[in-house]
Amino acid sequence: MSNKISIYRFMSAGCNGCDVEIFECLVPRYKLGELNVEVVSSPEEANVLAITGGINVKGREELKASYEKIQPPKLVVAIGNCALTMEIFDGGYPMVGPPDRIVPVNLYVPGCPPRPQAIVSAIAKALDKTLSMEENYWDAPEGFRGLHEFDGEKCIGCGACAQVCSSKAIDIIDGNEKRLIKVNYGHCSFCAFCQDECPTEAIKLTKKYQMLTDNRNLTNITNEVQLISCSICGRRFMPEPQIEWAIKRVTEKVNVYEKFMDAVRRAMRICPDCRRETENIRDAKKLLLQLSTVARINRK
Amino acid sequence: MPRIVNIGPYRPQLLEPERFELLVENNKIIDANIELGYVHRGIEKLFTTKTYMQNLALAERICGICSGVHTLCYAQTVEKITDTPVPERAKYLRCIYMELERLHSHYLWFGVLAHTLHEHEAFLRIMVEREHVQDLLEYLTGNRINYLINTVGGVRRDITLKKAEKVREVLKNLRSLSDYIMSLLDDNGVFTEKIKGVGVLTRKKALEVGAVGPTLRGSGVKSDIRRDDPYAAYGELDFEVITEDDGDVYAKSLVRARETFESISIIDQAIENLPEGEISVKPGEPLVKEEIGRVEAPRGELFYYIKSNGTNMPERVKVRTPSFANDYAIIEMLRGERLENARVIIESIDPCFACTDRVTVIDVKTGRRREVQL
Ligand code: SF4
Ligand code: SF4
Repeated sequence: MSNKISIYRFMSAGCNGCDVEIFECLVPRYKLGELNVEVVSSPEEANVLAITGGINVKGREELKASYEKIQPPKLVVAIGNCALTMEIFDGGYPMVGPPDRIVPVNLYVPGCPPRPQAIVSAIAKALDKTLSMEENYWDAPEGFRGLHEFDGEKCIGCGACAQVCSSKAIDIIDGNEKRLIKVNYGHCSFCAFCQDECPTEAIKLTKKYQMLTDNRNLTNITNEVQLISCSICGRRFMPEPQIEWAIKRVTEKVNVYEKFMDAVRRAMRICPDCRRETENIRDAKKLLLQLSTVARINRK
Repeated sequence: MPRIVNIGPYRPQLLEPERFELLVENNKIIDANIELGYVHRGIEKLFTTKTYMQNLALAERICGICSGVHTLCYAQTVEKITDTPVPERAKYLRCIYMELERLHSHYLWFGVLAHTLHEHEAFLRIMVEREHVQDLLEYLTGNRINYLINTVGGVRRDITLKKAEKVREVLKNLRSLSDYIMSLLDDNGVFTEKIKGVGVLTRKKALEVGAVGPTLRGSGVKSDIRRDDPYAAYGELDFEVITEDDGDVYAKSLVRARETFESISIIDQAIENLPEGEISVKPGEPLVKEEIGRVEAPRGELFYYIKSNGTNMPERVKVRTPSFANDYAIIEMLRGERLENARVIIESIDPCFACTDRVTVIDVKTGRRREVQL
């Protein structure tokens, strides 16, 4: 590899946040210069292609043409989650990306946008160089919305995070025994709605922002919870901890319910299909009547 | 014989891809066309597939530079649809966050200008000191760009006493950066000579093409949504609407430079007078109705239209961004100019094609081009 690294930036169908951050990398504090890197204005002069954005139908041919002109070693870096997965724009009608469907990509820098520090360290990594990182501005501040972290003890598998997610980044996958909660941080906008809405504070966005990878299928973190099976038909249908959490909440709110908890638990372990059977409806009604009676007496 | 000169679409000096087609004779620009679409993402359609809350993150990603003001305009419009009263403290906080955004946006513009004019020293100083705003925003909101601070019903993070101290400290640094930028624009300033008299947009033309923001104010029109149709706490804060009369790139630069002082003063006042209380309330249910909202983004008036059918997803969202309004001004300003000034003129409106490209493609293959080739 020649010593001089020349980067050509290509953008199509992103928000330009990533482009601003690349521009920002030119500030000395980010040490792009230390790496002997320059940003050039035509693909012919470059040996590294930096792609931002999810690529739309109009950018596709331009991207191909630019890629062809890049000099060896023709290193391609996809910067920002749009360039990984199209992120929040996934599903937009003009979108034809992500870029690696059009040209080969060597490295991915997740983030929305990635901090300049992450971009520069990605480039350093690609060049097998180390940066001096002694200064404290390499640390993200308290409250930074970076990579997620699960608290496996706390997560009840309810799926609230997936429902509020702004970018369809969270998958809920029910297996035979377990429910998998999968946060695809390469598809994430780091809005932190999941963190805000999680009823048990099990999911948190951390200060970690270095997420460089060469395989974007690995940009996820997961958590598993046990599913319970229906006490009648045996089908797995609901996370065990979610039921226990609900029961705990109810007894905390109305403590006279406590003596009915076994009955409630029994009722909750019946799957929605079986609940519709006549005799089960009858039982459920009976239970509800009992509950409302004690609640009424208690209120008086 | 006139020739056609293409600028773009992929020119990394311009932050974003766009193609300008200039018709040039003897190095003089006779006419210009703009072709957009490289950043089009189908956002208005996507809006209708997400809930009102999820859409905050999408609105923000219309543009990564003035992302905050998009969420504000969106949230304010949804607040009308859901009949949600915003707490006073949130209104003041919104002003603080939005003026910080105006500052980083204007400073970035000066950074790009310095880059374009090959003023390396100025470029470095501006970009280095602009980092103070970025660091502050990251510290206050949790992200440097796309900070998602506004929500329907208020803001998501408070400015505590400790944080307010930090804000004041940063403002001090920014004052000296703004002073420095002013010095680049004074009689001996390195910018002055290169941009004075370049790309003139007369007051009449500016109004005719519907220019907005600093582009319009640089042509002597006193127009600013913060004053004309006050939102958040702007009605209670004291600031001047800056105008300059000459309409050239220099006038637009002066407007932006002087506006940074106003922004600093607005933040100062808002911090001093920050009311006690909640920073957000739970939004109400969406009613069946249509609403509009507008705010003054760093580049000018930003406009949202939202139609609600009472469900948790909007039926239609329409966005008119300032850069779109200003695109026509570029064409006006380019006409009659020397070719080497084209770039600085294009950049003088602070174009943001991520914004504009949601909307439209202006086809270059129009009659005009053929006409001229004759
Ligand atoms: S990854 Fe985020 S910051 Fe980067 S272009 Fe996409 S939306 Fe913008
Ligand atoms: S932060 Fe959470 S809710 Fe937001 S996009 Fe990422 S996974 Fe989804």
